[in-house]
Amino acid sequence: MHRRPLTHKTRLTALVAVLCACAVLGAGAYGSARRNESQQVKDPHYGEVLFNFYQQQYFSAITNLLTAQQFQRINHHRDEAELLLGGMYLSYGQHIQAGEIFQRLIDAGAAPEIRDRAWFYLAKIRYQRGYLAEAGDAISRIHDALPGELEEERQLLQAQLLMDRQDYRQAAQVLARMRGQSVWAQYGHYNLGVALIKAGDSVAGTALLEEVGGQPAADEELKSLKDKANVALGYAFLRDAAPARAQARLEQVRLDGLLSNKALLGIGWAHSAQNQNEQSLIPWTELQKRNVIDSAVQEALLALPYALGRLGAYQQSLQQYETAITVYTNEMARIDSSMTAIRSGKMVDAILQHDSTNEMGWFWRMRAVPDAPESRYLIHLMAGHDFQEALKNYRDLRFLTHNLDYWTNNIGIYGDMLATRRLAYAQRLPRVLQDERSRNFAELPAQRDRYAAELARIENTDDVMGLANDKEQQLLARLSKAESALKRLSGHADISASQDKHRLLHGLLFWDVSSEYRPRLWQARKDLKTLDRNLAETQSRREALMRAQVDVPKTFENFAARIVQLRGRISQLQSRVQAMSSAHGHYLEELAITELATQKERLAAYLTQARFAIAQMYDEASNAGRGAK
Amino acid sequence: MKDRITLRALKWLQRAFVLLSLGLLVSLPPVAHAAETTGTAKTTQYKGLDQQAQSLKKEVMELNRDLLALEEELLFPASTQVAVFVSMDIGSLFELDAVEVKLDDKVVAHYLYTQREIEALRRGGVHRLYLGNLRVGKHELVAFFTGKGPHGRDYRRGATLEFEKQTEPRYIELQIRDVTRNLQPEFRVKEWQ
Repeated sequence: MHRRPLTHKTRLTALVAVLCACAVLGAGAYGSARRNESQQVKDPHYGEVLFNFYQQQYFSAITNLLTAQQFQRINHHRDEAELLLGGMYLSYGQHIQAGEIFQRLIDAGAAPEIRDRAWFYLAKIRYQRGYLAEAGDAISRIHDALPGELEEERQLLQAQLLMDRQDYRQAAQVLARMRGQSVWAQYGHYNLGVALIKAGDSVAGTALLEEVGGQPAADEELKSLKDKANVALGYAFLRDAAPARAQARLEQVRLDGLLSNKALLGIGWAHSAQNQNEQSLIPWTELQKRNVIDSAVQEALLALPYALGRLGAYQQSLQQYETAITVYTNEMARIDSSMTAIRSGKMVDAILQHDSTNEMGWFWRMRAVPDAPESRYLIHLMAGHDFQEALKNYRDLRFLTHNLDYWTNNIGIYGDMLATRRLAYAQRLPRVLQDERSRNFAELPAQRDRYAAELARIENTDDVMGLANDKEQQLLARLSKAESALKRLSGHADISASQDKHRLLHGLLFWDVSSEYRPRLWQARKDLKTLDRNLAETQSRREALMRAQVDVPKTFENFAARIVQLRGRISQLQSRVQAMSSAHGHYLEELAITELATQKERLAAYLTQARFAIAQMYDEASNAGRGAK
Repeated sequence: MKDRITLRALKWLQRAFVLLSLGLLVSLPPVAHAAETTGTAKTTQYKGLDQQAQSLKKEVMELNRDLLALEEELLFPASTQVAVFVSMDIGSLFELDAVEVKLDDKVVAHYLYTQREIEALRRGGVHRLYLGNLRVGKHELVAFFTGKGPHGRDYRRGATLEFEKQTEPRYIELQIRDVTRNLQPEFRVKEWQ
């Protein structure tokens, strides 16, 4: 069984993200251009979520979406938002939440193509996280064929799940249905070969692997797969005592590929099994020059003296065994140092030291191994799902630590801000109340009523002069005084001219005021309405002020309580995130230590064999010496 | 005697060969079961950790939601809140560089867009450019868009909106659209009700 390697996963990341987006948004609904009105963003806050989502800022997108849902700002996109949220949870590695959402939407009748894609991505992430039964459950819910290469990827995943359950026959049936020419299909052929061999049909399985191993390969990925098929076949033939066929297969493996060491070792054994001991020295000598952390190189260190022994070159054989012992001993010491370095807890941080802490998510992949002595022993481990998935969680938890630190700082600022507002309110309120009292607002309605009553009286009695302006009132007062004076002089002098003049002026004044009466009455009525409006506004503001005296302290209390509660949650989560980070760190260290221990055990076994071989040789030589005497 | 030694040595070495071969084959697909037992135990342990990590992440996301809500209610109460968004429809006739927003003749936002952000806008994302507070009453918003227009020419256009702020939050969208009729970009200001 073969899982596709790291290099391709990195390339797949973008593709999967796009497919995932399409899966949750509906095929092409938000393509490079929105083509019709029905696809327009109908709530700007939903568009804001998409803005983050399209930049793969999943955490920001999820939290924005959750906030918008809380404020009920995306009601036009309720279902789409749920789908998007499910997709983002998936992108973010939250497959449990994503599964819950997808299940809810599927129950509510989501479109079949969306349903099937959702289950596929759920199966994929569950598989990578080691939830094999749950992954099997998800993949079994896919009803129809998925579009394009996705269907081949689904078949491959389904077969992998079956092979994990050791149901090789069923896996072979699934893989046999793969018809395409894509890279997934090539992996399918390889896995089918392995499944058939494991199911007991070694003839058909071998034939398939020979087909994979013999076909021309254009890119690095297919070349690697071809090498893998040839190495698997080579060793299968060696085990079945068919060294010539093994040699033919192994010689097709590239000399600079990842499997070249294993192939060289096998070629040596193939020659050896055919009694071509001198030829077996060539690949094993080449292996001696290569990196000793590779198990094939380590084994070659023992194979070489073995071949020399078979050729009768005992002295050289002895020297080679001694060299092997030195190499094994040194390597074991290095592994011990690496274990100590890993136990000091620096390994994981070294891996992530150049990694940005701005975002998090499941699509992230480790791009380079850390520059540390222990890394060279762990490259294989670091490329595996176990390590990668735990590392992603560790990285996400590190992001959460930064996020919680950010909020710790901000919640403190909000607490201070609230305290300042409370103080300002406490200082301002007495001034406002004093101002309100000084303006005697309570008297205003009575004053307004008096004004309205006077206007009504003027109107009812047609009291024209009641609407005279200040100047006219002054003139009227002067005329009144003049009239009184004329009355006093009446009978003492000839005042008829003055009386005529008074009558004329009074008449003129009355004429002027009368002619303005209607407009003034209209204006007075209008002023009364304005006054009513202003009074109503004043009243409303007074009521607002009264309410504010009750509500504002309550609002402050509410904010203060929320701040205290949120601060508590931040603090509690900080401790838990810290503990969980440590647990993940320890888990990763444990994986590394276990890997190193396995490597050390293998070296120890080789060391024992080398020592035993030397002892045996000395023993034989000693016996030979005694026999000669 | 020498032949006897060689024979015995060979016998031992043949045993070693068998051991070595088996040791190598353990790592190959047909006999991969030995490693799987350890893997399963680890997977069970990891599943427990993974579930706890997921639960924690969920709680932190919910906490972020509550904190963002608090932040908004505290800093931008609904009664005074105004938000300005930028959107782009197709956007092939205008290569956006920056947007500047003036509210009542005061610059409140100036934003330079990255290529990644422009791509997100083109795909239907909407950028919240500004979130602030305004008193109830009449206000004027002026937005300036700078970038490259058709044929790579420098382009700077403005758009204005007079609006009334009530006691509800006010959302304003600055839209960049392609007008295929005259092959020119169009800049509009839309008020969300």
